[in-house]
Amino acid sequence: MTDPTFATRPDPARAAERDRDLKLLLAVLLALLGVTMTAIYALALNAGAAPRLADLALARVPQTGVDNPVTAVLLNYRAYDTLMELAVLLAALLGIWSLGPAPAGFQRSGPVLAGMVSWVVPLLIVAGGYMLWVGGYAPGGAFQAGALLGAAGVIVRLAGDPQAGLPGEAAQRWLLVLGVLVFTLVGLGLMLFGAGFLTYPPKLAKWLILLIESAATLAIGVALAAAYVGGRPTATSPLDPRPSAQPK
Amino acid sequence: MPEPAMTAPLVLCIVLPLLGALFATALPGRAVAVGIVTALVTAAAAVALTLAVWEQGTLHLVLGGWEPALAIALRADGIATALVLMANLVALGISVYASGYFQDAIRIRSFWPLWLLLWAALNGLFLAGDLFNLYVMLELLGISAAALGALTGNREAIAANLRYLLVGLLGSITYLLGVAFLYTAHGSLDIGILAAAIAANEQLFAVDAAAMTLMISGLALKAALFPLHFWLPPAHANAPAPVSAALSALVVKAAFYLILRLWLDVFAPVTGMAAAMLLALLGSAAVLWGSWRALRAARLKLLAAYSTVAQIGYLFLFLPLLVATPEGPARDNLLAALLLMAVTHGFAKAGFFLAAGLVQTNAGHDRIDELGGTAQRLPATTFAIALAGSALIGLPPSGSFIGKWLLMQQAIATGQWWWVVVILAGTALAAAYVFRVLSRAFGLEPTPLRFITDPRAEVPALVLALVSVAVLGLASGPLWTLLGLSGADA
Repeated sequence: MTDPTFATRPDPARAAERDRDLKLLLAVLLALLGVTMTAIYALALNAGAAPRLADLALARVPQTGVDNPVTAVLLNYRAYDTLMELAVLLAALLGIWSLGPAPAGFQRSGPVLAGMVSWVVPLLIVAGGYMLWVGGYAPGGAFQAGALLGAAGVIVRLAGDPQAGLPGEAAQRWLLVLGVLVFTLVGLGLMLFGAGFLTYPPKLAKWLILLIESAATLAIGVALAAAYVGGRPTATSPLDPRPSAQPK
Repeated sequence: MPEPAMTAPLVLCIVLPLLGALFATALPGRAVAVGIVTALVTAAAAVALTLAVWEQGTLHLVLGGWEPALAIALRADGIATALVLMANLVALGISVYASGYFQDAIRIRSFWPLWLLLWAALNGLFLAGDLFNLYVMLELLGISAAALGALTGNREAIAANLRYLLVGLLGSITYLLGVAFLYTAHGSLDIGILAAAIAANEQLFAVDAAAMTLMISGLALKAALFPLHFWLPPAHANAPAPVSAALSALVVKAAFYLILRLWLDVFAPVTGMAAAMLLALLGSAAVLWGSWRALRAARLKLLAAYSTVAQIGYLFLFLPLLVATPEGPARDNLLAALLLMAVTHGFAKAGFFLAAGLVQTNAGHDRIDELGGTAQRLPATTFAIALAGSALIGLPPSGSFIGKWLLMQQAIATGQWWWVVVILAGTALAAAYVFRVLSRAFGLEPTPLRFITDPRAEVPALVLALVSVAVLGLASGPLWTLLGLSGADA
């Protein structure tokens, strides 16, 4: 819709000046808001309530099946949040797929890059496996491991494989849902045996968490690599009519 | 620790649509069958949940078997359950409609997984008892909703839904900032524990008030409260019809539910008349502006989208009255009336959008001025629009008639008569925009041959509209029982 009153335009110099004034005013207001918020946040910090919960969380770590408190929070105390975060990742990828087919890949890499890729990608996969295992007692875990696998996919696509090293569409779909699926089925299975949804018995906790994290690592890696590919998998038509890719 | 069997529906309402989404993703060839089966079992779980809450009162479940402070709680009280039941029945209707609406394989493959994820997020949001978990649910809801809205595939739909996505992210981040304030000050994310902590620590009023402002403004952006509604009409009007129905009837309602939950439970000691008045003033502006724009809208779906802006406005008018009314039957009636209006709008708007979608596919457009003879070509659909329209106006016997009646009664009783003027003006405008559509649709053309032309598409719209008018209006008593309220006359 066009507004007829816009027919008479103000001259550009004055408009630019007013624009600058407006930006300045906005900056001042935002700064004031920031200062107020920081002051109130300082007030909240002085109440000193948060550490009490951290003490409780640390005290319960031995019963969680893992030694790393961060993993204990993510996979045990607040496992339900993590389950839904994995669903968010799935929704984001399905959203990307719904917008269209993947753009064409890059040209095949030269021998130097190809040589480097053949070194770096296996290293990334091994490092991902290490990250997954180390998450039990030190910083690491499924998201970090999945990010490394995703990075391997990005490198493979940059080196000229349009599918970023991912398998065909059917396998890709199963791998994508694997994380949430295993997580949910473990939760439901525990409910069926009377323990309650996502309530791990302390003896089994370590192995159940490892199972969930392994599935989640694969799913996260595939989701990140597929997000970088940037569209629905195009099974047999690598020649896409759209202008060549500029994914970031 | 309660019996797992008792709290099972609480978990199943969230997990079943989630599992359905996974299988619809992994088996794209059978997406429709997976979707319909999931819709049926999820709606059944919602009915089971309602029965459980009906018999035992509020259900509460701490996941993981930890202390409540450490873990995430799920809970279903009367308010949550009423909205879950509404949302799941509406979603079932939308699913049946959608199984015939989408034709090409690519859309079908994209729609079902995202739709079921949206459904899981909705149920998760209604049943969450933890502020951070609510943030995760808001993210899942926002991302799947924006992706679904863009399924139309044209430029306007993608632009409108990209804006919707960004606005939604701004809203959730603002909400999250408020959550961070509360966690820092009180050391908990559980709604029950926080409510007690806020009531006990009056010296932290500034922090609590700042958190409330941040969280409610973030959510008001998502609930499209005037003047933060700018993103809604283009996003809802350009989405595919079943998605428009879900966005307008359910997703916006979820953000409002969260505002209500925070207002009643978490921030009860912090809320005051000033905040309530501000929100209600914005609500009145929404009622008047939304209804006016609906009256001027050239397209049927745009009309429905602006009408959503207005209908959300009504819900905010309840806040100052809730503050002014002391505990007792009058306040209970007011709360039930608020729920009744929200639930009625859910059914009516879903029915309206589904019917509008059918008009659009049938006529090839939805320009209101050129809809002559729709009543002859699509009698059942026109009837559904008329029924849903009468619920939007608030004609008896619709649920919103009772809601508006109790709202006006209490406005006069508490001396805040000016809201009555807003309600009456909004109702008059609503009557005008609904009759504008109907007068076009009932052109002078031959008598229809058949009442129903396409059962799978027309029956859901008709049933949803009928529920909003007949069932909720004539049999709204059970809502009072479900909410566990004393107020008698319904």
